[in-house]
Amino acid sequence: MKALLSHYRRHPLQLMALAVMIVLATMLWTGVNHLTSQARASLGQSERAVTERQQVVRSDGQALVIEDFVALRLAGVCVMPWLEVTPETGSRLVGIDPLAAHCFGAGTGASQVLDQPLDGKPFVDMHTAAGISARESRLYLLAPETTRATDLPGGYHLKTFLTGPDTGELGDSFLLNLEALGVLVLLITALLLRSVYLLGLAQRRDSFALLHRFGVSPGQVQRWLVLEILVLALVCVVPGVWLGRWLAAGLGGGFGKALDGLFDIPLYAGQGQGWITPVLVMLGVVVIACLGDLLLLRFRDRLSLPVPVRAGLAMAMLVAGLVMAWLAPSLPWVFVAVALVFAGAGWLTPAAVAHLAHWRANRSSASLALWRHRELAVLVRRLTLPLVALQFALAMVLAVQALVTTFESTFDRWLAQRLEAAYYIEVPAGANSKKADEWLTSQQESVPGLRWHRVIRGRAELAEAERPQVDVFAVAPVGSLIRAWALLEATDQPWVALASGAGVMINEQLARRQNLGVGENVPLILGGQPTALPVLGVYPDYGRPAGEVLLSAKTLPDSFNIRFESFSVTPGEPGIAHITDALEKIWGVEALSLRDNGTVQALATGVFDQTFALTRAITLLTLILAASALLMMGWVFFSTRTWYFQLLVVWGLPHRVAAGQLLRLALLLTGGIAVLALPLGIWLTWVLVHRINPLAFGWSLPMAVYPLFWLELAVLSLAVGLSIAALMRRQLRRPAVAPVSASALTGGER
Amino acid sequence: MTESLLAVRGLGKHFVSGNETVPVIDKLSFTLGQGQSLALTGRSGSGKSTVLNLLCGLELPDAGTIVMHGQVFEAGGAATRQKAAAWATLRRQHIGVVFQEANLMPALSLLENVRFRAQLAGRDAANSEDWLTRLGIGELARRYPDQVSGGQRQRAALAMVFAMEPALILADEPTGSLDRHTADEVIQALFELQARYGCSLILATHDAELAAGCQQHLDLGHLSAL
Repeated sequence: MKALLSHYRRHPLQLMALAVMIVLATMLWTGVNHLTSQARASLGQSERAVTERQQVVRSDGQALVIEDFVALRLAGVCVMPWLEVTPETGSRLVGIDPLAAHCFGAGTGASQVLDQPLDGKPFVDMHTAAGISARESRLYLLAPETTRATDLPGGYHLKTFLTGPDTGELGDSFLLNLEALGVLVLLITALLLRSVYLLGLAQRRDSFALLHRFGVSPGQVQRWLVLEILVLALVCVVPGVWLGRWLAAGLGGGFGKALDGLFDIPLYAGQGQGWITPVLVMLGVVVIACLGDLLLLRFRDRLSLPVPVRAGLAMAMLVAGLVMAWLAPSLPWVFVAVALVFAGAGWLTPAAVAHLAHWRANRSSASLALWRHRELAVLVRRLTLPLVALQFALAMVLAVQALVTTFESTFDRWLAQRLEAAYYIEVPAGANSKKADEWLTSQQESVPGLRWHRVIRGRAELAEAERPQVDVFAVAPVGSLIRAWALLEATDQPWVALASGAGVMINEQLARRQNLGVGENVPLILGGQPTALPVLGVYPDYGRPAGEVLLSAKTLPDSFNIRFESFSVTPGEPGIAHITDALEKIWGVEALSLRDNGTVQALATGVFDQTFALTRAITLLTLILAASALLMMGWVFFSTRTWYFQLLVVWGLPHRVAAGQLLRLALLLTGGIAVLALPLGIWLTWVLVHRINPLAFGWSLPMAVYPLFWLELAVLSLAVGLSIAALMRRQLRRPAVAPVSASALTGGER
Repeated sequence: MTESLLAVRGLGKHFVSGNETVPVIDKLSFTLGQGQSLALTGRSGSGKSTVLNLLCGLELPDAGTIVMHGQVFEAGGAATRQKAAAWATLRRQHIGVVFQEANLMPALSLLENVRFRAQLAGRDAANSEDWLTRLGIGELARRYPDQVSGGQRQRAALAMVFAMEPALILADEPTGSLDRHTADEVIQALFELQARYGCSLILATHDAELAAGCQQHLDLGHLSAL
């Protein structure tokens, strides 16, 4: 035992490096994992709190007051008050009445309904919320699902209750993104640990051989090594988990704001996983990463297959995975396909590269080139596991980077599309929108800068066998607000044609689902009347599973069932008050439901930037970790080959030439990894956006590849190769006296 | 008297260990004629390997002069880069080095190793297989170093050296890791071929019996040990 540990007595920095790596790896993974589980819990909680709910509103469009609550209760309708308060400073709070929570089936209060204590943000007691000096407050009355419209007294009707904008499944998709990042971080941290540990093992091989000569069996050495790493892991993992939770808490502020802003989901403190799971996971990762080879050694003979069988099996797995990913009907099959492709690629890649290197070597007339290619084949074979793991890591970085960037641009475009106008005004129930339309039209000439359109939403059916429903998005006039929308494909002058009612535009989802293109007719049943209108253009519609038809409101038949109406307004010089005052008078209401899109956009953009900066920072960190792992492992394995480069010098090659050979080999190895990671990364991106996302959420993100990321990874890989060569150059300058390892003496490292 | 291939005058080398300067070689002088053999003997640490490293330019001396194959190398001074380049050329074309072990590239077969060394020296690599045959391992030409015995590897190392047609062979304990019988076979082959092809040989050994096979004998044992 003393002899074993004497290595770390002689190399205390190496022990410290290993300990620091375990702590850092644990911290990083625990941090990301903690954030993800917190986000998942918050999302789930928020969904439980707001989904399947409905609210009672006044039919005259007036804001609800406490008298409405009294009237409804006296009529026997069970409603729960929900007072939303935005304080002068700070985040929005929600005041609820715990006693009224029994409406939702909870016996003892809202804390059970909302699955959380009423002692902090965002839910507080109604009394507390009412006492806050508020910039804005609004009362909602929530009704349980069982409440029907006929239960309500006159003057009230039911409406869906949502606390924020509906972002479709973007939230879930965002979490999937984080989960992928978590797996990536786990893989990279395992690699990093492995590289540091292997560095130590490489230096201890001679000591092990000596111990063996002294009569210590390999089994005994292995047992001591297992014990050594277990003790070290136990000592380091616990503080690592603590630091990870601290990191999550530190990032949680920005992350919470991001979740709140993006999905209206507050990030609750104290959620996420406890201590046991991360400690056990990281202990397992440390042991497998460091001692996997040793543990598998005894099964190697039983597990080994003849090379042709192995190659055939790997090829079959790869092909089966690719086909399965293309045709998979459900998410589990896609995951199986991904596993098959990764396993097949991982098995085939090193063998294929070694084979290619041999092929090149056999065609080299110059002995130096022959040696270099053979040496490359040796390096690839000897570095099989770390190379494959790094290939996977680089591929995953590539895919996650592409996914995150796609998300970022998707959010940006989604925002720009939805928030084109400065203000959004909801038409109160029962109000006459045509009067407002007429008034705004009359103002068009006299108010400079006024831009607006009326939006009518409803449903139509496609005139097909199953009568699938599509959303209708009708606007009038088709003005400059909507003409700014980007179109994926369009006819000539599509907006003019749309304004004249000569056709419709459809969203990407409908175009994909119905296989419709520009010029083709969409068979629609609008308000019960069949019609067929040509497609004038296809617009991107991010994050929505539903098909949608955009048309001029003028073409809607009178029988069309309007589900919702609003005005999008950019008020121009007189300001929004001029518009709202007039509309309040026209509609006879005291207050309008008005949304300042500029503020929302500024807030959302800021929050998006913060979110993606966070994701980028984590990705960058994983990239740095991957680069470090590659650097350290490359250095370790090149170190074991130093003697052969020194032999070149002994044989009369100038140091410069020998160092040049080393540089070429290092660049070939690390650059090769980046090149091999590229197709896998692109394929994985495709799987994430075109297979997993649609199967999980019902819509696909646009598939975009970012050659700049390829360049980044290539530069990173080449920089690592250069660094390995630079580090090795120092070792080459030392006098050639003896090979580094005992097995080099017999030429065993072939 | 044969023509002098190598002349060493006042050669000195020291190493620094902490604050202490430890002399390894001090005022060493000798000459070696073309085709002659010299045994360097001495106990471990007497500086045998250091002398060989100095004589092929893998290390540079702190004092003295080496005249090798007509080129003069003075200790100290500038132009280290030019000296290194000149030594590299000498090693590539005229000096064959045989270590106790690990003389072969493990990724290349025995034949490819011999060809590699011959090509580096600018010699005709077509005879490479003949050299292996002459050393009694022709049938193993396509095997890799890890597929043959230690003695066969040393024979292959000698084949490599002879394939480059060297003027001088520096052999550092070439049979140190072999059993007596194999060692005898290898050293016999070395002496025979050295005599037949007329190259010079410096053999570093602690074995008096092997040293007796050389024409000259230089004992470094009296020098201070490292």
